[in-house]
Amino acid sequence: MATASEERRKAFEREALPHLDAVYRVALRLSGGEAQADDLTQETMLKAYRSWHQYKTGTNVRAWLLTILRHTFINQYRKAKRAGPTVDIGEIESYSIFHDVQEVDPEGAFFKQIVDDEVLRAIDSLPDEFRETLVLSDIEQLTYAEIAEITGVPVGTVKSRLFRARQALQKLLYDYAVEMGYIQEVKK
Amino acid sequence: MSTPEPIDCHEAAERLYEYLDGELTPQMEASVREHLKACAPCFGLSEFEKSFLSFLHARTRARQAPERLKKRIFEQVLFDRGSPENE
Repeated sequence: MATASEERRKAFEREALPHLDAVYRVALRLSGGEAQADDLTQETMLKAYRSWHQYKTGTNVRAWLLTILRHTFINQYRKAKRAGPTVDIGEIESYSIFHDVQEVDPEGAFFKQIVDDEVLRAIDSLPDEFRETLVLSDIEQLTYAEIAEITGVPVGTVKSRLFRARQALQKLLYDYAVEMGYIQEVKK
Repeated sequence: MSTPEPIDCHEAAERLYEYLDGELTPQMEASVREHLKACAPCFGLSEFEKSFLSFLHARTRARQAPERLKKRIFEQVLFDRGSPENE
């Protein structure tokens, strides 16, 4: 007969481990470095495993893991200064780049010339609360309600953060594309 | 089904991300959809934002947890082996 610890291990393997990639991806964007992301992911999975009895079978295990991840990050890692600059989102006008490029590139083909690392670098330069919202939505495709639960804010706040984070990111990527000559800057 | 409540360009733009994310009520979703059908500039904006979001997802999703980390978690979390005091 299986012991209680074997049962727990099997349940954890079956239900939690399939979300390891998601936990790692979010850890990577929150912490900003591979070594830190490794530690943060491991710490998260360890805490989740130890408190597995608190997880209610059939509820949203991914959201539960990401909530643990976020708490772990805030308590242990956020104090460490992140590498690289953070943009001042208040400085970025909240409007779609579409209005600038619609005459020359209405489909936003210039985005496709931007390499993955540059996209990630732009995401990493967003302030914490905007970055985490965008990562949970646009990388992990969580719903507004799930993001609200994980980040502990009302759905309305998720909406407004996501709106501003996406428009800021567009602007950063557009400026980069202009700089690289992927698209000609349209003078307003 | 009743006709969707008409909305203007400003509201359509404001609701666009919620529309693309599938987060609107059926009534509001219908209102945005009808507006986009009838308004070429808003439809253009919507297509642009849709392709931006799918670009973003495609460029960031591929990353997986490295094998060494999977192994480490398997050994150290699930089987509690290989932690420094056991080595």
